[in-house]
Amino acid sequence: MGAALSSSWLRWIAGIAALSIIPFVLQPYELDLYRKMLFWVALAISYNFLFGIAGQMALSHFAFAGIGAYTVVIMLTQADLGLGLAVAAALLLAAILAFIVSFAATRLEGFYLALATLAFAQLLTVVLNEGGSLTGGTGGLTSYSFPAVLGVKIEGPWYALVMVAVMLGTLAILLRIDRSWFGRACRAIRDNTEAAAAMGVDVARTKIIAFTLTSVMAAAAGMVYAFFDNTVNPPVFGLENAFLVLFMVIVGGSGSHAGAIIGAVLLRLTQDILEPIVGHYHALGFGVVVVAAILFQPKGLIGAWDALRARIKAGK
Amino acid sequence: MTATEKILIEVRGLTKNFGGLTAVDGLDFDLKEGEVLGLIGPNGAGKSTTFNLWSGGYPASAGSVRLDGEEMLGLPPHRIAARGIMRTFQHNMPFEGMSVADNVLVGAHTTMRSGLVPVLLGAGAARAEERKARQRADELIDFVGLGEFRDAEVSTLSFGQGRLLETARALAGEPRIMLFDEPAAGLTPSECDRLSEIIRGIAERGISILLIEHDMRFLLPLADRVVVLNFGRKIADGAPDTIRSDPAVVDAYLGEAGGVGAAAGSRAEPRPDA
Amino acid sequence: MADLLELLVSASASGCIYGLMALAYLLILRPTGIINFAVGEWAMIGAFAAVVLSVQLELPSILAIPASALVLAILGWLTEWSVVRPLVVRGAGHLAPILVLLGMLVVYHQVMLLSFGGGQEPLDGPFGFRRVEIGPIAGTPQSFFIIVTTIAVFVAVWLFFERTVWGKSFEAVAINRRAAALMGINLRLVTALAFAGGAAVAALAGLLDGPRGSVEVAMALPLAIQGFSALVIGGVNRVEGALLGGIILAFAEDLTRRYVPIPSGLALGVTPTLLIIFLLVRPTGLLRAKEAS
Repeated sequence: MGAALSSSWLRWIAGIAALSIIPFVLQPYELDLYRKMLFWVALAISYNFLFGIAGQMALSHFAFAGIGAYTVVIMLTQADLGLGLAVAAALLLAAILAFIVSFAATRLEGFYLALATLAFAQLLTVVLNEGGSLTGGTGGLTSYSFPAVLGVKIEGPWYALVMVAVMLGTLAILLRIDRSWFGRACRAIRDNTEAAAAMGVDVARTKIIAFTLTSVMAAAAGMVYAFFDNTVNPPVFGLENAFLVLFMVIVGGSGSHAGAIIGAVLLRLTQDILEPIVGHYHALGFGVVVVAAILFQPKGLIGAWDALRARIKAGK
Repeated sequence: MTATEKILIEVRGLTKNFGGLTAVDGLDFDLKEGEVLGLIGPNGAGKSTTFNLWSGGYPASAGSVRLDGEEMLGLPPHRIAARGIMRTFQHNMPFEGMSVADNVLVGAHTTMRSGLVPVLLGAGAARAEERKARQRADELIDFVGLGEFRDAEVSTLSFGQGRLLETARALAGEPRIMLFDEPAAGLTPSECDRLSEIIRGIAERGISILLIEHDMRFLLPLADRVVVLNFGRKIADGAPDTIRSDPAVVDAYLGEAGGVGAAAGSRAEPRPDA
Repeated sequence: MADLLELLVSASASGCIYGLMALAYLLILRPTGIINFAVGEWAMIGAFAAVVLSVQLELPSILAIPASALVLAILGWLTEWSVVRPLVVRGAGHLAPILVLLGMLVVYHQVMLLSFGGGQEPLDGPFGFRRVEIGPIAGTPQSFFIIVTTIAVFVAVWLFFERTVWGKSFEAVAINRRAAALMGINLRLVTALAFAGGAAVAALAGLLDGPRGSVEVAMALPLAIQGFSALVIGGVNRVEGALLGGIILAFAEDLTRRYVPIPSGLALGVTPTLLIIFLLVRPTGLLRAKEAS
């Protein structure tokens, strides 16, 4: 027990160290890809909890990232709040909106939840496009910058560490929750709602908490994203990316944290590497991979890996 | 076995109409502390409807079901579980994507007292509670005899093993009352015997049991007392021995399976859905 | 007044397009329980099929339109056979077919982008551009063509469900798959026909919509979204609901755009707002299921 505990701590420390050193050895262009990949990984991890573990096929995940990003920028530049207050305000707004959406949507099953959250995401796009000077319209908000913290300017590789922290924080929180009664309650609702209720799980409450928590996590990732290029605009937080993060989770292995990470990393990597070379064929290949994963490998890449490992073990 | 005279659940005038049809009609009976109560009747007698009224989800047309003197009708299923009433399902309803141990741990949901924040912070109390729950789940898995499948996915279990899992899962909630919905349905004779033993063991722990069952030969040796329904009404209420010879009961079963003797004597085939 | 009447004609035409899209969803959703977001792509592909057949191959409309619908019916059938059926046979969860069709949406979209590019293709309606006046009502010939065709399609589908043995078996499958199978209804065939029919109806929506603007790959998503919004508004239980939902949605959009002084971008919010309101207040839609007999 003690040994297992310390080895798990060692793994975390090694992971944090590796992820934190990488930004300092990368060229600026690679650094940009790296921090954006971390942003996607963070979103894939929280979306995996919502979709893969809690079984809620919501399409509002990027919308909440957008709410986080826009709110923190607006609070900083237009309401002149300090960084701490702006972050708190953005998280609070995301939490309130997520609570309202999920409170209303828990009555809806299956694809109706997808429709409701899709409509919410669309409405947000309209609001961002038509928000005038508040949201900057279709051009979005630009020419702001990340405020100095205690007189220190956080830039370049140092700012990438903020994304590392948010991503690892998301992972740590969700891992811990997943291995508790709450995570089991979420999976139970996903697998059989009636039986979960009979075992004493308050289905509506559990769904609302899962939705609100993961949406706030998306908002947190969105806030960090806002200062990558010091610009936010509506298309980033639109439907296309909401579908993309869903596909990442499916390809990686829905319900598995490692699967979500692998799916996000692989799809980002292939996009960054292949798109300049093969153009639209990359997106087509991506669609084919998603279809093939659902048809032939419903547990995703992580499931294929587990099966392979089991086979090697059995062969020995 | 250890039945006291204290009444846990008091059913009075319980009635359920479906359109013009009265499925349950003015039903009165009690469940006493520590007893194994059987609820039987031919197909369509209103057993399942009664069960669904108890376990939540169905609104009753009239009457009351009181637990410790408090009305239970109309409570959502999770509140009923929180009050110490756990159930099994006639058609097994496992959580397909989870291991056997995790299935049982879901059953322990109502016993977990730590909030999400202590869980997140890794508070000692929350960890101790989780450890205790896992230990208890392991004991229960051994109790029903699924020890070797602890970490298996539930899809690898047979139907009979699935029924045992349902039992362990419900027990994990540390119930005061266990509801079994046709536990023998779909089991082979040897699985029935195994389940009988387990139900006796549960009764010995002092848990009150309501068994809804069609199969007399399974039920009569297990029950302390039997309530017989026909066409939604109670036609007999007494010890298994008196039920066996009750003319009203014999009549009710005659129409269906050639009398109690025949019904009780022929448990040759595992029954499909009732 | 004349302005309003003209608006009514064009809004009715839009409503008919949305209604056809909703019908495409409904034909598949009713017997299979699958919501197929790829119908928007099918509508777009149908419009491109019409461009190829009538503009490039110079077929007359009376041939090009049914031929396009037929091409899409075959595509719908193939889609069901290749990606949906294996999941149903395997007993995968109810979300799996919805997800695989989302994946197919990407495949269709990218194939079309690669084949035709992101540009706009012109498509003429069969009756040209001359203004048509019927008493005080006036509009483009395409608007009237859309309305007439849509009514014909809905009447045909309604007759199919109400008057034919095949339609009855669709309904039986919608109510209870297992019981229907026991009654000897061929579930596979019903499912395949549902996909073929849904794709053909979506194609009609796309190729009727094309001449009102232009045909482009980007037309798929708005059609998909307006279609299911109309479906939710009208209710998923009855064929008439699809048309009713489409008309309500189109009138809400067009009247807002014309008479409410808000920027045109904000008018795009009408559809999602209506959708959210209906999901919250009346998730079963306006028309309830007929009494089970």
